[in-house]
Amino acid sequence: MFYSVVLLSIFGILNLFLGFLKSRAWLLPVTLLFLATALVVTLTDWNKSLFFWNYMMSTDNVSVAFATIIIVSAMLILPLSRFYFPNAAAPVPEYYAILLFSVVGAILMVTYENIIMLFLGLETLSIAMYILAGSDKRNPRSHEAALKYFLMGAFATGILLFGVAMLYGATGTFNLSGLAQYVRTTLVNGASPMLYLGLTLVLIGILFKLSVAPFHFWTPDVYDGTPTLFTAFMATVVKTAGFAALYKILSVSFTGIYSVWWITLAATSVLTLLIGNITAVYQQSFKRMLAYSSISHAGYLLIAVTAMGQTSQSSILFYSLAYTLATITSFAVLILVNENRAGESFSAFNGLARHNPFLAFALTVAMCSLAGIPLTGGFFGKFYIFINALEKGLLFLLVVAVLMSAVGIYYYFRVVIAMYMRGSDDNAVADRIIVPKSYAAVLAITTFLTILLGVAPDLLVRYF
Amino acid sequence: MADKIFYFLTFLSLISAMLVIFSRNPVHSVLYLILTFFCLSGHYILLNAQFLAAVNIIVYAGAIMVLFLFVIMFLNLREDTEPRKGMAAKLAAVVSGGLLLLIMVAALRTADMSTLNNPASFDSQIGLVENLGRVLFTDFLLPFELASVLFLVAMVGAVMLGKREAGERNF
Amino acid sequence: MQSGELSAFGTILLFIIGGILFFGVAMLTARLLRPHRPNAEKLSSYECGEEVAGSAWGPFNVRYYIVALVFILFDVELAFLFPWAVVFGDHKLDVASGGLWSWYALAEMFIFVAILALGLSYAWVKGHLDWVRPQTRPSDWQSKVPAQLYDRVNEKYKSSR
Repeated sequence: MFYSVVLLSIFGILNLFLGFLKSRAWLLPVTLLFLATALVVTLTDWNKSLFFWNYMMSTDNVSVAFATIIIVSAMLILPLSRFYFPNAAAPVPEYYAILLFSVVGAILMVTYENIIMLFLGLETLSIAMYILAGSDKRNPRSHEAALKYFLMGAFATGILLFGVAMLYGATGTFNLSGLAQYVRTTLVNGASPMLYLGLTLVLIGILFKLSVAPFHFWTPDVYDGTPTLFTAFMATVVKTAGFAALYKILSVSFTGIYSVWWITLAATSVLTLLIGNITAVYQQSFKRMLAYSSISHAGYLLIAVTAMGQTSQSSILFYSLAYTLATITSFAVLILVNENRAGESFSAFNGLARHNPFLAFALTVAMCSLAGIPLTGGFFGKFYIFINALEKGLLFLLVVAVLMSAVGIYYYFRVVIAMYMRGSDDNAVADRIIVPKSYAAVLAITTFLTILLGVAPDLLVRYF
Repeated sequence: MADKIFYFLTFLSLISAMLVIFSRNPVHSVLYLILTFFCLSGHYILLNAQFLAAVNIIVYAGAIMVLFLFVIMFLNLREDTEPRKGMAAKLAAVVSGGLLLLIMVAALRTADMSTLNNPASFDSQIGLVENLGRVLFTDFLLPFELASVLFLVAMVGAVMLGKREAGERNF
Repeated sequence: MQSGELSAFGTILLFIIGGILFFGVAMLTARLLRPHRPNAEKLSSYECGEEVAGSAWGPFNVRYYIVALVFILFDVELAFLFPWAVVFGDHKLDVASGGLWSWYALAEMFIFVAILALGLSYAWVKGHLDWVRPQTRPSDWQSKVPAQLYDRVNEKYKSSR
């Protein structure tokens, strides 16, 4: 994993300098090739348990799997940029380079063994995202998104660092296993309150980045204002990496004091589910609905973290993969619809099924997956998480989650109804959307994988 | 003697930190922030971490404060344009800040610092620049190198966002 | 400081206190001695004799900000160079690693500096550091007065100068 980090950093710098070439045609294939190389290098760490550079990074199968999800989702999102920048002067090589660097940050967050690496990864990822959020310089909403994201994110990072300082003050180490050692030994003597305070602040910092209620308030505006291509990246890569990081620190270091933190996480996940799902119902814009839906999915994932057990890592993994695939599909269709019909509201999707049956089918599968309808990956994602909660005896969480999934069906199906049932009254809207090949390929892959995960989840689950 | 300096510095840094918040004029806030940084550097020196004290002054009080002033100029903040906050917002801020203070005081009052304060393992030279360098360039080498990637992202992003686009109005 | 003698930082502290005292005493004496008769003219800011108009705080070009940001990044890099310079020739580490330590440390710092230097060169080549001047628009307005007329006037009054 260390080598993929090094490679991706070098590739990012290379990408910056590729921008000096006259021809831009090679840029996207080369960047995809870079990511594929990193993916292969990452996969060579499979079934190895390694530590790098004085216990700074560690590799196991789960972290390899999370890194794979991150790199694959970057590879799926990149082709969408093909016709995304009509402006010839758009600094596309820089965007690609920053995306590669943000993948570096995400991988660090997945494989860290020392809290310093977590902080570095989080910062690299966040700074890249702040920049990309503000990359649409002509659009004041993009500025607003970048500024909001930056101020809130910097504040959260400050809280996280404060917590890390407290943890260091209590334990004298930054190392995850060192922290675990301290937690094990102090349970006998009574742990220092500073440890609890530090843990709380670190959790707040991470939950903030994951847009978990009550730290979610920045999400809708930021997701809405950011260029849709980068929103897709934000909603998938940042979430996956963040949950991997959260799960890692809690499972490696703080299982000893599970009784202390589980109630906090349970309360926040209930709050997140309620706020995310109920507010999503009232949205008129598809993009804002997806923002609230990403909040609610953070709630489901948080249930798996709360119900920490033998199988919760595999269910987090499965859920993140299913969520990532469905989210990429929805954002890809949203980009196409927004560019051809100039609208992000639900009504822009009216009658899409008649003119573009493939787009409508892909989006329907994605919505079913997000809603957790059987035969899609999202169903088994929710199923495994609910099983986890049941095994741990978290019945009230289960009840809330099931109720909220029912609410979710309502707002996910609004767009499906718009596509299939509503005719488009406007003639200009009725035009058929021409789907570029790169979009078609991405949509085909994500839809196929979503259905595959829904039909044969064992293909993935048996490895963990 | 060191105790008295410590208490004096703490008093001064608390006062100046509060003045940062209470000043109506943002430039005064920045000046008080610089004073706060100097006080913190004094604390670093009391902790025998001279290098951190110097870096704190060079980077924070020197360079970053200049950026703060730039931003204040950009936003054209003035006393009369400052939005007035409602009573409810102030009350909420006081309550939440007070709760945080309460929790911190409660947690840190009884904090057990034996891991760090243990005389057997205590090293008064730990903050000196040699020790810092030795740790940074052997044990913490990987984070150090990756920090340069972080800086690179920040630099590329800054020049990209600050770049003048064709047709953009400029003054 | 434990033994009661002043450390180097104690001297610095004395200097700071001395500086503040010197300044304070000077201001206080001036205040006691000077006559105090202000008026609006005297209280206004001195701006080379001009009337002060408006605020001195105006929004200004973003390029200053870019330069400042690049400066900060290199400032931080420089801060890392200090501890490196101290341990670079560390004899103990050199002996323990069989003479490899210095090369190792050199390589570490070279990588770090090189990555940032690449970033700087990127920004440089890309022209982000160029000082963008406001575009001057040459006017195509033609004067009705022919140029020879001026020449003739100049010629005419040349002798009288």
